[in-house]
Amino acid sequence: MRYILQSEWYKLRKSKIIFIIFTSPLVGLFLGLTTQLVNEMEGNEWYLSLFTMNVTYALLFLPLITGVLASIICRYEHQEGGWKQLLALPVTRGKVFVAKYVLLMFLVLFMQLLYFVAIYLVGWINGFTDPFPMDIVWKSILGGWVATFPLVALQLWMSILFKSFAAPFTVNVIFTLPTILAVNSEKFGPYYPWAQPFAMMNVGGNVGDVFFIPWEQLLTVVGGSFLLFFIGGYMYFQRKPV
Amino acid sequence: MLRQLLVADFLKIKRKGFWLLTFLGPLGVVALQMVNYGLRKDYLLQQSDNDWEYYLSNVHSFTPLALILGIAIFTSIIANIENETNAWKQLVSLPVSKMSVYLSKFTALASLLLVSSILLMVFTLLFGVFLDLGEEIPYVELFQYSFYPYFAALPILSLQLWIAIVSKNQGIPITTGVLGVVFAYSAYYLPDWMIWKWPSLMNAWGEPVVNALLGVGLGCVLYLVGMFDFVRRDVK
Repeated sequence: MRYILQSEWYKLRKSKIIFIIFTSPLVGLFLGLTTQLVNEMEGNEWYLSLFTMNVTYALLFLPLITGVLASIICRYEHQEGGWKQLLALPVTRGKVFVAKYVLLMFLVLFMQLLYFVAIYLVGWINGFTDPFPMDIVWKSILGGWVATFPLVALQLWMSILFKSFAAPFTVNVIFTLPTILAVNSEKFGPYYPWAQPFAMMNVGGNVGDVFFIPWEQLLTVVGGSFLLFFIGGYMYFQRKPV
Repeated sequence: MLRQLLVADFLKIKRKGFWLLTFLGPLGVVALQMVNYGLRKDYLLQQSDNDWEYYLSNVHSFTPLALILGIAIFTSIIANIENETNAWKQLVSLPVSKMSVYLSKFTALASLLLVSSILLMVFTLLFGVFLDLGEEIPYVELFQYSFYPYFAALPILSLQLWIAIVSKNQGIPITTGVLGVVFAYSAYYLPDWMIWKWPSLMNAWGEPVVNALLGVGLGCVLYLVGMFDFVRRDVK
């Protein structure tokens, strides 16, 4: 398993993935520095910045970019019989799938950490003097990460299924765009997997819990859709003709 | 020559989902409003005195996003058709100029997007009539909301086509598409010169037609830049 992860990592190093990962803090900075609302909110000045940044980041950027990462991680295999070469090695398909997934989740975590830096920079540039709300920021950073678990699983499945970048991306877009409406609805928002990054990163949720959404929602919606997409992708990959 | 290239391009994009997406894009934009109005019609009708106007602006809140993502998808597929099988070499070794090869791809995509704008107008009108928003249908605004975003998005089409054609790794044009949609979603805060703001039809003068005209103008400029870059590049 360790060797598969290592070889995945070698393959990644030479791809352009680092540029794509660094779009995350750049988007964070862009959102934090341009989308300034007039501060009429009482309390900590970090909150407003966090709120405006997280909306666009979690609604659109995070779900879409994780799909791109998933496609990149399958790019070498789709070219010139890469699947054949990889699977001719003494590895099982299951392990390859898990390795790719694990690596992807690490990349997303890294991206979230860079976004954390961006949040800090925005506050520094704006000269915020209020105390940095460490617990809330961590909650949204890690919550956003957890919420991408099912999304990444589906995108990995789609990226293994389709050769082109555009096809898995289309699937991603079709599910992500309705999120903008879904989060407005108290009835559907909590049950829509693509709305979970927003729910998890949206500052001002229930502060008492570990994350901004209740445990039942986390386990059923995020956990349930994760199992569905992960097992679906895993089973598909077992049967995929290469 | 261009006509034959176009015929060839339309043959190549057959069964790649282009027509489906051309149809699905505008349908999706209107379908989101079907859900929106289906769930809370009474509330939405209370929001303004002019129900048609409000409905159109609701539809339009998704048009720029769908357009930009659609452009990213289209340009990436059309470039990938040649990349996938290393067909660029074969294509440019035919007795055709590289300029017309590029023009043909651009024209094919621009026509598909135009078709989806027409469909957007039809779907918007049909659902608006179904909602029974009032006797006076604002045809002028309907036309503006359906076609101005298309014209305003032409620079993005030129830019994305250029990036998609010169990138070996299609992750790059898709990523610029994602960035584009982030910009478009923040259009309200963007300065007027950012092309991703234009499809939202917002500008300092409050005249949507400015965005459409600027779009056509800069679209041509960026198209030429991309085309000359493509012509000068070695085909591997």
